[in-house]
Amino acid sequence: MAWRRFRKNKSALIGAAIVGFFVFISVYGVFFAPYPPRSFYCLFNGCANLPPFTNWAHPLGTETSGIDVFSEILHGALGDLYVGVAATAISVAIGLLIGALAGYKGGPAGALLLGTTQIFFVLPVLVIILLFARIGQLLVAQGLGLTLIVVILGIFGWPTIAFVTRGEILRIKELEFVQAARSLGASNTRILFRHILLNVLSPLIVLSSLLVAGNILTEVVISFLGFGDPNTSTWGLLIEEGFSYVRTSWWVALFPGLAVVFAVLGFNLLGDGLADALNPRIRE
Amino acid sequence: MGSLGNYVIRRILFAIPVIIAVSVITFLITNAAGNPLQIVKLGTKSMTASQLASLEAYFHLNQPIYIRYFLWLNDFIHGNLGVSLYSGSVSARIVPWIGTTLELQIPALFLALLIGVPIGIYSARHQYSKGDYAITSAAIFGISMPTFWIGIMLIIVFSYYLHWLPAFGAISAYPPYWWGSTFTDAIAHAILPLSVLTFVSIATITRLTRVNMLEVLRQDYILAARASGLSDRTVIYKHALKNAITPVLTIVGLSFGTLLAGAPALETTFSWPGLGFAFVNAATSLDLPTVLGITMIITLMVLAANIITDLAYAFLDPRVRIT
Repeated sequence: MAWRRFRKNKSALIGAAIVGFFVFISVYGVFFAPYPPRSFYCLFNGCANLPPFTNWAHPLGTETSGIDVFSEILHGALGDLYVGVAATAISVAIGLLIGALAGYKGGPAGALLLGTTQIFFVLPVLVIILLFARIGQLLVAQGLGLTLIVVILGIFGWPTIAFVTRGEILRIKELEFVQAARSLGASNTRILFRHILLNVLSPLIVLSSLLVAGNILTEVVISFLGFGDPNTSTWGLLIEEGFSYVRTSWWVALFPGLAVVFAVLGFNLLGDGLADALNPRIRE
Repeated sequence: MGSLGNYVIRRILFAIPVIIAVSVITFLITNAAGNPLQIVKLGTKSMTASQLASLEAYFHLNQPIYIRYFLWLNDFIHGNLGVSLYSGSVSARIVPWIGTTLELQIPALFLALLIGVPIGIYSARHQYSKGDYAITSAAIFGISMPTFWIGIMLIIVFSYYLHWLPAFGAISAYPPYWWGSTFTDAIAHAILPLSVLTFVSIATITRLTRVNMLEVLRQDYILAARASGLSDRTVIYKHALKNAITPVLTIVGLSFGTLLAGAPALETTFSWPGLGFAFVNAATSLDLPTVLGITMIITLMVLAANIITDLAYAFLDPRVRIT
């Protein structure tokens, strides 16, 4: 039923199409990309600093350092998708666990959760993330690269998920079908898994899509400021390189940014569409 | 308003453990290598042995970390935010930084509320119309764009291509001043970053207002108000808006923190000398005492904004004070 609603929502379908396209590009883009990642090919072959649309071997232009923009955007797609999805996966895994415990059992998990979410509400999260990323770059990152960013984003993302999970579980716990199951003698674990978690999934799916969008944006900021991994292609790194030459090579900052907007838009539309499909109240 | 006063006190008391937790986390991470000078040596600057020795004494590096924490906390409470590794006292420079950042954030928030709320209301009242679709599409594009990238695009168009506005800084350091005087010069420099910030905030506020307004308009009391013959305008502005606006205000107050935190990238793009730019420079050059000081100040500002929002919410909605 929710699927039917989803199919009727045009912007949700557009979002899903964009996300599918983006995943496809990330996984198979390495075969389309004319050059390897971070390749300074053009520096040695006289095609550096080309404007876009002038030479079909380099459709989106090249940087002063010889990197081909189109090729890098394809490589960067994988980097950004990795960060977005992996960080969200970590946040959801931790958040679901803690939120479920806090909602169902209360007690120490509940107290931990409430305390931590209060703190996270107030923290200037981006600033702290930047700080961790910078220090991590020095101490840890030789070899870890983007995974460090994934871990940091994952750690700072779980409170929202846990908070929503706990809220949903508290709400569902009191519903009649749960009490019916309990009165029929179903054990606690059975109730938790069969009845409650399935219902918690809907808001979580919506949140996950929006969280991927947010993580991609945060990763772009981290890389743009130079606190990410300088050896892996990501769109933020490209924008940063473009920014240093923005007076002369405006295309290096423009096209990766458009890629970011496109990808994030896809996940946002998907998330909104899922929210509408799974929650009929607003769209009656 | 006894209960409001109680609420204030409770909120402020609750803030204290939060501040302590943030200070501990930040202090630990900036001292993570065990020795901030070690990190500096990993970086760039080279210092003479006597400079290193005096820095070691100043930062009490021969003491265990928990003692260093309390020494730092003591300094912090007395207003001494520490000494930068490269350029003098942090406390002396933090006030101009705060002022410069707020110079952008507060007008942006104000303008965004002024423009975004009416647009959101319009969108909610005319749901499914062409105008609604246009507005929601524009808003969702707005929240999908990296803020600083919008800034870069505007710089390309309005500064480098059209030469209408300056690209960097908050003021021109020397004549000629944009548009005549130093005052108009400051305004000219502020237009681009302010526009970016306002645009992004408008996108968020429009979406929020629209969603909340839609929710409120479905309530029974709205139907009752309409049935009793009140004009549409009275229903919207007297009854619906009051109820729709409180969640919006809460989100706005909370998002002050996000706005402030979004400052680093935007300020770096425009070389706008505020807190965010100072933070990025300090973090890049591993000037950890400055980083620590700025992080704490930003945290305090966000906390203050949250408390003010909570108070405004409690003022508007008396049910909140009991909890």
